[in-house]
Amino acid sequence: MYNNSSSSNNNNNHHHQPQTSHTSTSRSSDYSAGGDGEPSAAGNKWASRLLKECARAIYDKDSSKIHHLLWMLNELASPYGDCDQKLASYFLQALFCKATESGQRCFKTLTLVAEKSHCFDSARKLILKFQEVSPWTTFGHVAANGAILEALDGEPKLHIIDISNTLCTQWPTLLEALATRNDDTPHLKLTVVVTANIVRSVMKEISQRMEKFARLMGVPFEFNVISGLNHLGQLTKEALGVVEDEAVAVNCMGALRRVPVEGRAAVIGMFRSLGPKVVTVVEEEADFSSTRYDFVKCFEECLRFYTVYFEMLEESFTPTSNEKLMLERECSRGIVRVLACDDDQDNEGERERRERGSQWSERLKEAFSSVGFSDDVVDDVKALLKRYKPGWALAQPYQNETGLYLTWKEEPVVWASAWKP
Amino acid sequence: MMKGGFEVVHATLDMIQPHREPIWDFASVGFPTTSVAAAVSSIPRQNLENRCINLERNELSDWVEQVTKKLIDDLPAQNTDTDDHHSRTLQAPADIPMLCEDSFPPSLLGDFRPRKTVTSSDFDELQWSNVNGGNDRGLSRLDEQGLSLITLLLECAVAISIDNLGEAHRMLLELTQMASPYALSCAERVVAYFAKAMSSRVINSWLGICSPLINYKTVHCAFQAFNNVSPFIKFAHFTSNQAILEAFHRRDRVHIIDLDIMQGLQWPALFHILATRMEGPPHLTMTGMGSSMELLTETGKQLSNFAKRLGMSFEFHPIAKKFGEIDITMVRLRRGETLAIHWLQHSLYDATGPDWKTMRLMEQLGPRIITLVEQDLSHGGSFLDRFVGSLHYYSTMFDSLGAYLAADDPNRHHIEHCLLYREINNILAIGGPARSGEDKMKQWRSELAARNSFVQVPMSSNSMAQAQLILNMFPPAHGYRLVQGDGTLRLGWKDTSLFTASAWTSHISR
Repeated sequence: MYNNSSSSNNNNNHHHQPQTSHTSTSRSSDYSAGGDGEPSAAGNKWASRLLKECARAIYDKDSSKIHHLLWMLNELASPYGDCDQKLASYFLQALFCKATESGQRCFKTLTLVAEKSHCFDSARKLILKFQEVSPWTTFGHVAANGAILEALDGEPKLHIIDISNTLCTQWPTLLEALATRNDDTPHLKLTVVVTANIVRSVMKEISQRMEKFARLMGVPFEFNVISGLNHLGQLTKEALGVVEDEAVAVNCMGALRRVPVEGRAAVIGMFRSLGPKVVTVVEEEADFSSTRYDFVKCFEECLRFYTVYFEMLEESFTPTSNEKLMLERECSRGIVRVLACDDDQDNEGERERRERGSQWSERLKEAFSSVGFSDDVVDDVKALLKRYKPGWALAQPYQNETGLYLTWKEEPVVWASAWKP
Repeated sequence: MMKGGFEVVHATLDMIQPHREPIWDFASVGFPTTSVAAAVSSIPRQNLENRCINLERNELSDWVEQVTKKLIDDLPAQNTDTDDHHSRTLQAPADIPMLCEDSFPPSLLGDFRPRKTVTSSDFDELQWSNVNGGNDRGLSRLDEQGLSLITLLLECAVAISIDNLGEAHRMLLELTQMASPYALSCAERVVAYFAKAMSSRVINSWLGICSPLINYKTVHCAFQAFNNVSPFIKFAHFTSNQAILEAFHRRDRVHIIDLDIMQGLQWPALFHILATRMEGPPHLTMTGMGSSMELLTETGKQLSNFAKRLGMSFEFHPIAKKFGEIDITMVRLRRGETLAIHWLQHSLYDATGPDWKTMRLMEQLGPRIITLVEQDLSHGGSFLDRFVGSLHYYSTMFDSLGAYLAADDPNRHHIEHCLLYREINNILAIGGPARSGEDKMKQWRSELAARNSFVQVPMSSNSMAQAQLILNMFPPAHGYRLVQGDGTLRLGWKDTSLFTASAWTSHISR
């Protein structure tokens, strides 16, 4: 009934290894023939096939095909089932919004609900649990901290500008490292720039905890929060409180992707103007940017990325984990935003048009030169990965590329890099 | 009620493989967790303490009963009241309060006497009516979070029933982000699945298609898992088997038609008794009906092997069609065979096709016994009727599972997601579980009783004894309630009857 999708799919191998995971699925059963002698590929990855067909039908404006595929997806999908069912459910939502031109409204509602039910306890519980079962965020933290500590070594006054949404979970280890250094403990000023609404509400508790921790560590500490920005381009040296005798580090965790595509060069230029000793950039490895004018290509890339992410979540958490559910729901908002909202409605930069490490490198090279991660830092990262389930690895790039990649089942998923002026 | 007509596209797809093997081992089922959970709930607001539903009474269902009755009574077309509750249901979305303790009209907590089910028999009122009515003490123990979610859910159902799909969709976006099917609170789990089912319906509404897509293997799998942890299926099997056994007394050529045989879990037990009965084993023919010839053949093979080991003469005839879609010539009934027709009803999919045809074929076949096990839930009626009835029904069902399975038990999740949610989704779908828009009979035993061709055969005390034995196998025994009356046997949880077993004979039976 369905032609095999002819689109390129650059992750061909990670689905097929036996998993050491919570799910007791015997993967081999996915390969047995279906009831009526269906080919073996039919059982596995049905969601991907149907979704891609549907995206193509929407692009081709093939109304009856769209209806038929949406119907099938609607019947088969469930956000509480296996990976295929989840992907079908969340992507169906985006496709449905696209077909009914209700993407913007849908996204607004989803975001509002999430913000309403968000609080410090739930956010903290969520991120800590995620960091416990997966190195997705901690990888970037360890690599960046390593680069920052090395670049700022010997400096008495440090100013770290943290543009991230990981609720400052990166900094306790850095504070500890500063406290246990052989020489005098430097003064650390931490300026956190918050862009996601959902995080603003919890920054008060976070700042209290950070100050307390710094006191415990015996590190002279100053904490500032900058929120209420519409986009990063509005930042200035004065707004950030950067003063002359400080050694500045700019830490961007998934921050650049929140900048509208056309504004990225300017933001990078602004970073340069702060005169930092080091800029650390960590981003997820996906390209929703160069494909943004091609619905089908963008859809396929989006599907590829979130398939890896969902499968990673499935194997990292227990089957009935509420934290996993919340992370998946977070994704659903992102998926609707990228696929079902028009570009011209993009006034907040919350679209998160991700780019791959190689693309970010091209941009960053305009203002900076790359700094390799030292062997010590690489060792730290390797030690970190050992603490998690098998499947995670470190990949160092080829000749002309920069940074470090975190890989999941040999698929690069997160890119970390360090830069100097 | 619904915008536009719907296109009935018959399609069943076996291409989807089951996604997991459930944990069968009954011993792995934990014991009831009655501790008040102090943990922050999965979607906390201001560190609300998440309280488990009290095990003494089924307040969730009671409360639902009260509120929905009020909501339905207040529907705009019928009522020009201007009380708070009425106006609140029609307000713009932004005004709908998330936590409703203050805006809860006191009249709902008053002396209202709730109906338990949508059935009309007097027997129901007598056996199941709640003498205490609604009361504050019961409600206050309910999870506050669950309460506000259910309120929003009800408002959403009303929106759908008056065809305000845009508003319903918006509310569903909220609900589906707020309720978790892994929550400690049964109410929240129920909301999560009901919300998803309604979302699915909204999309189908827009598409104008109502036909289902079913993976029978997964469904059968979940059915079996449910059979391992809950007594309802075994109750159905064993009481029916007993009635059939009695009807087959001193008959040596017997024929059973199982209208939806699935994996044939029911029959080995009966085979065993038939094979070892005093008058010696009969020659048994079984006609198994179902959705796929492949699955039927497999079932037939298993049953044949079993019968062979027992030394009982056995024949199996698979029919991969619905009973209401075949004619009498397709049934290989021989002269002199004593016929039993067995039907365990469920809401997973339409097993039998058009009701009137099913009835007619039963009349034509003139069986000596019809064993019928019905869910105490009507598949017919308007969307809102089905919504209210099923919310009550499945809240009770979820409560019964939650009484002794842990919140993070993957087996419980498997049953709730692959079985109960499937049913909920079907019942709320356009055109009801049959997905065909045909009129479904509200209650089969009433229909059988109303016809001259059939006479009820009261369930014997042996059947009752069988049912008791089953209950002794499933903790917590104190939660389940077995009632005999009106010639039927009914098994429910706390105050609510969930399944009713009855038996009938045809006037022209051989």
